[in-house]
Amino acid sequence: MEDGKQSRSPMIAITMLRVIIGWHFLYEGIAKLTSPTWSAAGYMKVSRGPFADLFRWIASQPHLLDNANLITMYGLTVVGVLLMLGLFTRLAALGGIAFVLLFYLCNPPFVGYFYSIPTEGSYLIVNKNLVELSALVVILVTGSGRFAGIDRIMHTLFARRRRLAAARVSVAGL
Amino acid sequence: MADDTTKANAPPPRDDEPKRIGRREVLKGLSTVPALGLFGYAWNRQRHYQQARVEEVAAGAQAPAGVQDVNVALLGAGAQGQVLTDAMLRIPGVRFRAVCDVWTEYNQKRVVNSLKRFKHEVNGYEDYREMLDKEKAIDAVIIATPDFWHSQHTVDCLEAGKHVYCEKEMSNTLEGARKMVAAQRKTGKLLQIGHQRRSNPRYLHCYDKILHEAKMLGRIVTVYGQWNRAVTPDLGAPDRYVIPEARLQQYGFKDMHQFRNWRWYKGKGGGPIVDLGSHQIDIYSWFLGANPSRVMASGGNLYYDPKTHEWYDTVMAVYDFDTPLGPAKAYYQTQTTNGSQGYFENFMGDQGTLLISESEVNYAGQLYRDPNAPAWDEWIQKRYVSAPREQESKGKSDSGAIADVRESVAPDQHTVPVTLRDPYHQPHLQNFFDTVRGKATLNCPADVAYETAVAVLKVNEAIEAKSVLSFTPEEFKV
Repeated sequence: MEDGKQSRSPMIAITMLRVIIGWHFLYEGIAKLTSPTWSAAGYMKVSRGPFADLFRWIASQPHLLDNANLITMYGLTVVGVLLMLGLFTRLAALGGIAFVLLFYLCNPPFVGYFYSIPTEGSYLIVNKNLVELSALVVILVTGSGRFAGIDRIMHTLFARRRRLAAARVSVAGL
Repeated sequence: MADDTTKANAPPPRDDEPKRIGRREVLKGLSTVPALGLFGYAWNRQRHYQQARVEEVAAGAQAPAGVQDVNVALLGAGAQGQVLTDAMLRIPGVRFRAVCDVWTEYNQKRVVNSLKRFKHEVNGYEDYREMLDKEKAIDAVIIATPDFWHSQHTVDCLEAGKHVYCEKEMSNTLEGARKMVAAQRKTGKLLQIGHQRRSNPRYLHCYDKILHEAKMLGRIVTVYGQWNRAVTPDLGAPDRYVIPEARLQQYGFKDMHQFRNWRWYKGKGGGPIVDLGSHQIDIYSWFLGANPSRVMASGGNLYYDPKTHEWYDTVMAVYDFDTPLGPAKAYYQTQTTNGSQGYFENFMGDQGTLLISESEVNYAGQLYRDPNAPAWDEWIQKRYVSAPREQESKGKSDSGAIADVRESVAPDQHTVPVTLRDPYHQPHLQNFFDTVRGKATLNCPADVAYETAVAVLKVNEAIEAKSVLSFTPEEFKV
């Protein structure tokens, strides 16, 4: 957990990965927030696959759809900011994984599914959603916020307080 | 781990010691914050770019020197009102002064805000009479309220001394339409009805050049038109914007559903045949140069819930026309359960066929020359139509089947070389404003639109009557 033990270049690379993914999420979130007409309905209505019925049902209930839109817009933005800053990185990575997993499950590129919405590139089972999801898993597991993010400051602050408390206890016990 | 042991050897920090975080720690911790700064910068640049585009559009609508400003009020800020506003924002010399809509919480506020962003200082009103009283500077009112309000709104605005552009259908009753024509005659103000194809450059080109000058179709004997629309759910409204019952009743709606879906209710609109068909049936009369003499029609409520959809969702009408060149029949279909092949009008003459629609994308204007017709070279040279598309010989198709020689030579296909690059309603609004300034004449004045109203409203009657109904020539005059 301490940086002395981890060599720097993998962590630098993972930090760059984290910032870039954070930027992507942040822009996706802000673009939806500032677009007057965006709705997840378009994406959900063409859903295929095992969860198609669920997504289509959500898209057809205005109340649920409104909530889904709000959660997506604000969620993506918040995850993006947190990842870029390296604050609560693990939590943000989990949130990001949840979003991308939903997007992936909504329109999975399985054999025999043909989508009419434009999707650049050719994908089979693995598409960009899955790749981004894996990148987020790497960020989750390596906790790059502790290396070069606000988490590092938080960690030092709170770890010091924990050590202080432990020291007080041990001194008292002497 | 190394750090831990070092710290373990140091004396335990006292708890009143200030928490010292090394500068290096803080720097490392904040090392990715500049990325956020970069994001903010890029985002800002993009927004400035978008703002500049918006301003360009707004500036384009500033009147060039010499074009007199027309002060405009919008009465009815719903879907169609917003479409018209978008078109008007692109017309030079149009100055918005007021927006009136009974849905003050939603549509009215939205349009007022949107106009303000385009630098039009507008006042919002709920009651149109209050607007007419208070806004003295208005020259013209654009009316886009539900059909059953058209007559009263138009008459009141004309009598208040304003020119009026009223959306189609002129009115949901002939009596209402007659009142509008009478008021226009009495006040002498301009009244244009929103059959916007009458100002569409492609339709004008077909009417003037292809039909009248070149007579390329020969004698039109049959016409077919349709508007196919896919199943659409009813319009709703977000809970927090629902209009209170009292206000709905005051303006003639029994509930919010009727307010949003008035087109389907008897006494408010006329259903798809009037909403959609009135445009195209207007073109029938225009291009054929006559009003219909008979109509029979069949329709039904085949699909939607009759409690919320009182009018027919599927209609087929057959008109008889006595045109200057001879009798003709015109078929019109509208249905709202399938949207394939959309909307178009097909004029079939003995020498050629014109397949046209308002859409710039589908059926934008195709002409077919009958193989027995005289050559169209002269018209191609004059650019009335394009050169014919090259055809591959269809003698033998890929599947090895041998086509009948009668099928193997297709009629030459030409396109109409006129494109409209503006929003569809813009030319018709432009024509209205040009006439207000005294520089043009209306392409769809009230008495012409009245003829269409007579032809269209009779279809619903014909469906009820289940027989052929006749028109007398006097019926079309007010």
